[in-house]
Amino acid sequence: MPVFKTPFNGYSVKFSPFYESRLAVATAQNFGILGNGRLHILDLPPTPSSPFVELASFDTADGVYDVAWSESHDSLLVAAVADGSLKIYDLSLPPTSNPIRSLHEHSREVQSVDYNPVRRDSFISSSWDDSIKLWTLDRPTSIRSFQEHAYCVYAAVWNPRHADVFASASGDCTLRVWDVREPGSTMVVAAHEFEILSCDWNKYDDCVIATASVDKSVRVWDIRTYRTPLAVLNGHGYAVRKVKFSPHNRSFLVSCSYDMTVCAWDYMVEDARIGQYGHHTEFAVGVDMSVLVEGLIASTGWDELVYVWQYGTDPRAP
Amino acid sequence: MDMRDLVTGGAACAVPGSSSSSSNPLAALANTLIGSSSKIQENKEIPTSITPSSERQIYTETNDHLGALDQPFVDPNAPQHSDFLRGFHGSGGGQTELDAAWNDIHPPPPPQLDHIYDTHPHPQQHQPILDGPPQRMLSSLLHSFVDSSRGGVPFHATPLPVLGLSEGDKQCIRNRSSIMARHIFADKSEDFINAQVNALLCSLDIDGDARAKGPLPGRFRELEDYWNESQGTLKPGFHAADGWVAEFNQQRMVHGANGWASEFEQQHGANGWASEFEQSQLTSVDQMRGSNISSLAAMEQTRMLANTLAQNDDPKFQNSKFLQFVSKMSRGELIIDDNQVKQTALPAAGDWASEYQHQYNRSPAWADEFLSHGPDQWVNEFTTERGQHGPVDDQWVNEFSKLHVHDWADEFGRQVGEGALGENSTDNWANAYDEFLNEQVAARQRSDTSRGVYVFSDMNPYVGHPNPLKEGQELFRKGLLSEAVLALEAEVLKNPDNAEGWRLLGIAHAENDDDQQAIAAMLRAQEADSTNLEVLLALGVSHTNELEQAAALKYLYGWLRHHPQYGTLAPPELSDSLYYADVARLFNEAAQMSPDDADVHIVLGVLYNLTREYDKAIESFQTALKLKPHDYSLWNKLGATQANSVHSADAIFAYQQALDLKPNYVRAWANMGISYANQGMYEDSIRYYVRALAMNPKADNAWQYLRISLSCASRDDMLEACDSRNLDVLQKEFPL
Repeated sequence: MPVFKTPFNGYSVKFSPFYESRLAVATAQNFGILGNGRLHILDLPPTPSSPFVELASFDTADGVYDVAWSESHDSLLVAAVADGSLKIYDLSLPPTSNPIRSLHEHSREVQSVDYNPVRRDSFISSSWDDSIKLWTLDRPTSIRSFQEHAYCVYAAVWNPRHADVFASASGDCTLRVWDVREPGSTMVVAAHEFEILSCDWNKYDDCVIATASVDKSVRVWDIRTYRTPLAVLNGHGYAVRKVKFSPHNRSFLVSCSYDMTVCAWDYMVEDARIGQYGHHTEFAVGVDMSVLVEGLIASTGWDELVYVWQYGTDPRAP
Repeated sequence: MDMRDLVTGGAACAVPGSSSSSSNPLAALANTLIGSSSKIQENKEIPTSITPSSERQIYTETNDHLGALDQPFVDPNAPQHSDFLRGFHGSGGGQTELDAAWNDIHPPPPPQLDHIYDTHPHPQQHQPILDGPPQRMLSSLLHSFVDSSRGGVPFHATPLPVLGLSEGDKQCIRNRSSIMARHIFADKSEDFINAQVNALLCSLDIDGDARAKGPLPGRFRELEDYWNESQGTLKPGFHAADGWVAEFNQQRMVHGANGWASEFEQQHGANGWASEFEQSQLTSVDQMRGSNISSLAAMEQTRMLANTLAQNDDPKFQNSKFLQFVSKMSRGELIIDDNQVKQTALPAAGDWASEYQHQYNRSPAWADEFLSHGPDQWVNEFTTERGQHGPVDDQWVNEFSKLHVHDWADEFGRQVGEGALGENSTDNWANAYDEFLNEQVAARQRSDTSRGVYVFSDMNPYVGHPNPLKEGQELFRKGLLSEAVLALEAEVLKNPDNAEGWRLLGIAHAENDDDQQAIAAMLRAQEADSTNLEVLLALGVSHTNELEQAAALKYLYGWLRHHPQYGTLAPPELSDSLYYADVARLFNEAAQMSPDDADVHIVLGVLYNLTREYDKAIESFQTALKLKPHDYSLWNKLGATQANSVHSADAIFAYQQALDLKPNYVRAWANMGISYANQGMYEDSIRYYVRALAMNPKADNAWQYLRISLSCASRDDMLEACDSRNLDVLQKEFPL
């Protein structure tokens, strides 16, 4: 599979929910500590030997930490920018018209953005200002701000089944589950002893959620019995940056870490780690699995490379 | 808000589609009326690269195309949306409030401005902004900061030329590096993280700041409060200095000169002055946070962390860009650039503020030193100094009051310059520890494979020599250690039970910095003569070097037991269960018995090394040196101990003494290199390693140290020569 070199350090990669070969990559200069950002839209080449096709790229004045494809329009993306803004891009418009929106309410870096997969008309962002905000495309301001976490919120992810439910992972070492119809969070799980950097819902069991932490572990939880995790997945050597459940397999998940590897896990078997990929040469910080092609994984990292590969194959294989 | 904003609703809701095809007729009208220049304002972010071929695939260039969103913003009261919105509870109020807000902001407020664009109105300036030469430095500095996580080697503060970072930029760096450091350096102690971040901030001349998002709230609540409090009272730099002077004058007027010092002490307690100074050192705040934990504990933590990292045998980590990067950005490259730029960047002498600022960069070093001494000692020093001036207190105070702020800063600068405040000692610890770890790992590997098995050289020309022992002794005396080793090997091949031959062989290896062979030879010597004092002492020292307390105690106790004079002190039954305290007590007794026996003091020094009581160890060695000033190996021991403690600079003096006495003392050359490396003087350390290796190319440890120093000094170009052990090239490149 081909490799794409980004000029800046990779931060996040997401497959398009509409086109099996399309993906968006969020990048930031100088590891996102200072400098510009760039959002790349890439198409996988028809044959593995040819290079990626870059459809578009958009520059921002600050690093792009995350990106989410719209679930309702194939050409829309939301970028989470380190200056606290969310920017909406429309690929069907000429570059001069983009971004079509800039939503600036977060007072600190926005670390994650997630598009509601059920309602398909709203998205949530989580920020280092400790808050989560709910947005729709047609409103210039956020609909609601969720303010309970005591430290940076590194991820907020919609439940794949329930349109109003989402979970958030924070540096305050808690995982919170929210229902937007409720005034406060409905559940607080002290999921790790250390900062939690990522979380993701199981796509087959709407009560199962995975968390990834600075403590190097990934934990899988059933929120009905949240006192003990269903599984503790050890194997990363440093903080785990992102975790993602497979859209095609109930027990399969992938994670990436500051140990520079991407790991594949089956949390239901004893030797949970079923794959480890060491293709990145710097911190691996972004990983995603395609909804449209089973087993297709994409990853990016601070080595400024984007890899796409089929589970079971070597990401670096030509 | 200008007319365009009123009509079009501002740039934030720029209408999809080109201006002429706008679905908002008002906007079209506005464009007609005011001209289409508005586009430039609206699109502050102009994408730079879209490949022409893909352009068509992505957006269709038709005038009637409506973007994915036909309407800029849909009325929130439209039926298809109200359902959804009703589902949400407003956080601050109900639906009506939202509606009101909506009406208020329709048209919405002007867009949020992007700070980089603000300062650089022309889009084309946007790209180069972070690519100029200083920015490249910034880039590599940040890179090395991030990379430093992997080696566990602390990130070194490196003064950079003025980068022209805006306040916003600085805050970004401050905040983000603090938060990210807690993910990247997750294995490490809070102290370490703070030190890393501070080193970065210092390099960039960024103050620590209360607004920065520090560690999790709660963990350091008390200290944070303390910090915030102190921050309210004192401002950094100029003002602080002013404040002191003012305060001083005030004190002086009120209490008269003599009373000042005591008054001050009354008011602020013994540590008052120190803590006040601490408060003004904004950059050192994070390190000060750590000052609660005793420096020993901090050191212990650093060790544990370094240990964890050293255990990571993943070749990727070992080969990671880390070392290469520390080098790339650091000394070599940057200092050259730095010197050049600094010349121009530095203000004319007399610009006090910048000068202070310049010194200020180094304040963490000061803070570290401060920590390692502990405030009390520092204050003591201060008061002793005062005591010396006792009778002339008036004079001193007058002098002080006459001092300009300028002079004060100069004085401060001079002290820093002289190294009175020392190098960054945290770095030293960690560096020394890294090296120590390497040594340990290597030692462990050795011990696993071939402990105690002596490996003879092939093709020994001295085999068949009529009297190899005499030849060996002669060569050893001349300092031709490698030759001496061969001769002595020939001797012990001939007479395997010659304890003296084995002992000399062991010493030759030890001085040649080859511990594996030294221990093996000494073990054979002990087999041959189990009561030889020198052999027992040498074995005790070797095991101390490897921190094998039990074995070290065994041999050192053996030394005492077999000593004709002190043998009576050592009850034989004790040898079954040796405890450090017992052995140390016995040796102290021995030292009291005959205070003029240098050997006892040497053993005591070794013992204190075992428990890392370096100050006591240094004292013991110094006592021994008074009795035996020409013992080069003793000078080396003193140097090694000083290097292990916080006195790396002193160590260099001790090693120099050893080398003056014995110029071919390979071990001291290598140790000298280590000392320089510990002080961050990698270029110097390289020269010493190369010299040591030129004398004994078999000193594997020294090759490892050399490699590290080459990396740290950005001499990647010489790594190959190092890996291929090409001494000719290295010697030519690094003459001493």
